[in-house]
Amino acid sequence: MSLSMRPHLIGPFLLLLVLLFAPLLLPVYWIMILTEILIMGLLAVSFNLLLGYTGLLSFGHGAFFGLGAYTCALLLQAGHQNLFVLLGAGMLVALLAALLIGFFSVRLDEIFFAMITLGMGMLFFSIAHNWLAVTGGSDGLPVFALPVLNLAGREFTFYAPNSMYYLVFTTVLAGIVLLWLVVHSPFGLILRALRENKQRVAFIGGNIQLLRIVAFAVSGSFAGLAGVLFCLFNSMATPEFMHWSFSAKPVIMSIIGGTGVFLGPLFGAAIFFGLEQLIIHFTENWMFFLGMVLIPIVLFFPQGVFGTLRNRFFKQG
Amino acid sequence: MEQVLRIENLGHAYGKFKVIEDISLAIGRGETSALIGPNGAGKTTFYNAISGKFPPSKGRVFLNGENVTGLPSHRMVDKGMCRSFQITNIFAELTVLENVLSPLIIQQKKHFKPYGNVFKDRGLMERAMHTLEQVGLAERARQVVSSLAYGDKRLVEMAIVLARDPSVVLLDEPTAGMNPQETENMIQLIQRLAEHSGTTFFITEHDMKVVFSLARKIYVLHQGHLLAQGKPEEIRTNEAVQEAYLGRKSHA
Repeated sequence: MSLSMRPHLIGPFLLLLVLLFAPLLLPVYWIMILTEILIMGLLAVSFNLLLGYTGLLSFGHGAFFGLGAYTCALLLQAGHQNLFVLLGAGMLVALLAALLIGFFSVRLDEIFFAMITLGMGMLFFSIAHNWLAVTGGSDGLPVFALPVLNLAGREFTFYAPNSMYYLVFTTVLAGIVLLWLVVHSPFGLILRALRENKQRVAFIGGNIQLLRIVAFAVSGSFAGLAGVLFCLFNSMATPEFMHWSFSAKPVIMSIIGGTGVFLGPLFGAAIFFGLEQLIIHFTENWMFFLGMVLIPIVLFFPQGVFGTLRNRFFKQG
Repeated sequence: MEQVLRIENLGHAYGKFKVIEDISLAIGRGETSALIGPNGAGKTTFYNAISGKFPPSKGRVFLNGENVTGLPSHRMVDKGMCRSFQITNIFAELTVLENVLSPLIIQQKKHFKPYGNVFKDRGLMERAMHTLEQVGLAERARQVVSSLAYGDKRLVEMAIVLARDPSVVLLDEPTAGMNPQETENMIQLIQRLAEHSGTTFFITEHDMKVVFSLARKIYVLHQGHLLAQGKPEEIRTNEAVQEAYLGRKSHA
């Protein structure tokens, strides 16, 4: 089907085009920023499956991101260099942890849910921080060799920033397409129904807790995928990924970008890092200015920057 | 007549306080029945205890001959019992269509299916539009529910409740808060559905006009006990009922 018949796809298509050719247009420094934006964007979009679509505020998503990163770092240290094994294992470990955390937390709502996920996340932070022998403690776990990809008889490595960018771009694109499918599936509609009214879901035959656990596991595994990518990009897994202050990042990005729009959190990540880059040119106290920016955003863009602008200029159809 | 819902010696207590006690009744298939009683008689507690909101402290519930006592609400729906609530219970920020698609997704066991566009699923869409036509909301399918008038919101809940073809539908004050025209429409809708689809309706209602125009059998609940049961004309002339309830109500 041609794009002229589907006007809502023009935006994503242009974005894809820009991202695809970004290495030809931007200096290496900005390519690295863009790589980080894409990784954090995937984390935020996966997080928003819970906040925006299911109505659950998880304050422990850093745990899944961190577990993905540590799984990747440990496997690389053990000599496993197959890219697909790393990506798959990171997702799997995050998925299992999400099932475990989900089992204990989905009975609760709102602030109680946020607090128990925060607590569970800090549990994983403590393990990563204190289990020196395995995780390297507060220094983190460095990665010395990056994976190689054998594709069509050719061998790809990811030491150059541009090839790392394309690895991240492709993986994030795949992750976001999969999440997009989930959001528009029957399961996705039931999640939105849960967000609106969980009692009603129970009284049409839905098992609230089971649905929430599955949503939590899907969201957590994609957060783990983002963690693997960040470990490769950063050449390091550190306990900070699992700290609650790191878990606040996808929350802030989703709110800046807009929780009601699928790609809102990705734009939130872009705004977050864009602002950081602009502001650190002038001052080290960038968190102060982040606060100054957040307040008007919450006041004047109640559906996030992206969400409010879209609803202003394009009627939902 | 074949029994669709049978309640045996049902009781519920909050601590030592017995809200309802020793209620037994049997409802035949397709037989629209009503549960009436003054405020505080225990109607809502009774509904909650038989629909799985909480398990009853005593007694048993049979649905289509199967013992379903104490099942959680989502299992109760699977067994064929759906209900509405006194306060409209719908998915406010979803469209009318999405509201009615939700129960159908669960009925067709697609609620864990993480791929495939919902709106392109013919099996779901045809059933959804059929249900919306039944309640007269087909033209409003794409509207967000929160933008609808109150009466239409009640109809959305009706569509949600009917979507899964339940064998018993509990309606908790279906016309509460409606204007006379909306009330009349709701009465006609329930009559039509009871006749054509064979659904069994069991309603509670304060509006006696609604009760007497719909119910073929009436149960009167008073201070947690079943005070009387019978055909509408029997209830109308029952002295105990008049004393406990109708008498007081008639000059209200």
